[in-house]
Amino acid sequence: MAIEETGENPIKNEGDIVTCRKLIRNVATTAGFGMTDVTRIVTAVSELARNVYVHAGSDGVMRWQLLYQPGKIGIQLVFEDYGKGIPDIDQAIEAGFTTAGTMGMGLSGVKRLMDEMHIQSELGIGTTITVAKWGRAK
Amino acid sequence: MNHSHSKYLSNFKNWAEQKRFLDFTEKDVEFLKKLHPFAIEYADSFVDQLYEHLLQFPDTKRFLSDEKTLNRLKLAQKAYFMDLTSGEYGEEYYQSRIKVGIAHQRIGLPPRVYMSTYCYYMQLIIPKIYGNPMFDVETANGVFLALHKIINLDQELAISSYIHAIDEVISRQTEEILEMSTPVIQIWDGVVAAPIIGMLDSGRTQQFMERLLEAIVETNSPVALIDITGVPQIDTATAQHLIDTINAVKLLGSQVIITGVRPVIAQTLVHLGIDLSGIITRPTMASGLKVALDKLNIKVMDNPRA
Ligand SMILES: Nc1ncnc2c1ncn2[C@@H]1O[C@H](COP(=O)(O)OP(=O)(O)OP(=O)(O)O)[C@@H](O)[C@H]1O
Ligand SMILES: [Mg+2]
Repeated sequence: MAIEETGENPIKNEGDIVTCRKLIRNVATTAGFGMTDVTRIVTAVSELARNVYVHAGSDGVMRWQLLYQPGKIGIQLVFEDYGKGIPDIDQAIEAGFTTAGTMGMGLSGVKRLMDEMHIQSELGIGTTITVAKWGRAK
Repeated sequence: MNHSHSKYLSNFKNWAEQKRFLDFTEKDVEFLKKLHPFAIEYADSFVDQLYEHLLQFPDTKRFLSDEKTLNRLKLAQKAYFMDLTSGEYGEEYYQSRIKVGIAHQRIGLPPRVYMSTYCYYMQLIIPKIYGNPMFDVETANGVFLALHKIINLDQELAISSYIHAIDEVISRQTEEILEMSTPVIQIWDGVVAAPIIGMLDSGRTQQFMERLLEAIVETNSPVALIDITGVPQIDTATAQHLIDTINAVKLLGSQVIITGVRPVIAQTLVHLGIDLSGIITRPTMASGLKVALDKLNIKVMDNPRA
């Protein structure tokens, strides 16, 4: 059966983080990612969705899309919020940097868990974080 | 979605069995094909009349909110009606019927609307069967019965998939409830164990921590095993909650051993840069229990007579 190639899920409350994780676990598994990659991808989803919920101060949305290249399958995830923005992106990615008194390991971890990460942020306008992971096509 | 493991829903192979059960044969297929040209001829007018009818009831009207949706649904309905008599009842047909039930459950359209649609269709098509100069009485009866059978097959599929969709919602909720409650049990004199199933989100952490601390005090246990075999993944928030819990246990003078650390979890923890070096971890609950018993200086002997 054909699977859907793209979709989105709102991030408005803590329950949405759970929904995002479940959704992407399903999508990535059906797309053919192995168990290890699925766990990495879902962990990244958890981090980024929680960041929107905890830090942005606004609603946000997660968009996902499957990507195809010869012999490869990929998944791209975009986390977009309309919140306060990140003043210094380089600093935010540093392991241990946090403005919330938590571990500050989220963004640096996501960078290692995924193959690509791109952060775009403007103060008072919002933040868009795009990540992607590639795997071998089944 | 995977339909093959449902207790309510037949897969395509079992569906052939259902056709046999209903005595739906090639003869019926031939009768339906005879009706097909007329079904095509009147399809547009049927669909128009049906939707005009549906729009009269607030209950169904609310699903037909705007012109665009209405036109889209009409087109789909037309194809659906035309499929009934197409003579092709293979996998594609089966899938299209399954999807209806799932889609209706999702948007909250009650089955009675779906059922009455067929009734309405029958009302419109019966004159085209019995008033048809091309059909003698025997043919008309054959066509009618064949139509009745295929509609019965349709309805069985759509209603089963409808129930199946509800069933999935229920099992998802059950799973969520299970995730909410984490039991803390005493497994040895001096050792309590808490198997965590699902994610340890902040809502649950507080409750879990309280129960674990209570159990430790109540049973006067120097060691607590937290088993994370049932945790699908660990992110920084979960790790933080675990560490907070471990520190709270330490304040009571007891010690935590994390068990059930699967290789993928260990890997993601490394990727996240989370340092658990100060914490005793074990891959299985059994190996964790051994460590606990060692700490308590308890020796478990093999039964020499066994
Ligand atoms: N969507 C966002 N909007 C605004 N600020 C953000 C956003 N995401 C991250 N930040 C900022 O970047 C910092 C680092 O984020 P990171 O995920 O690495 O750590 P953390 O969320 O503080 O803690 P942890 O993820 O380890 O629980 C955050 O403390 C916050 O200041
Ligand atoms: Mg974070």
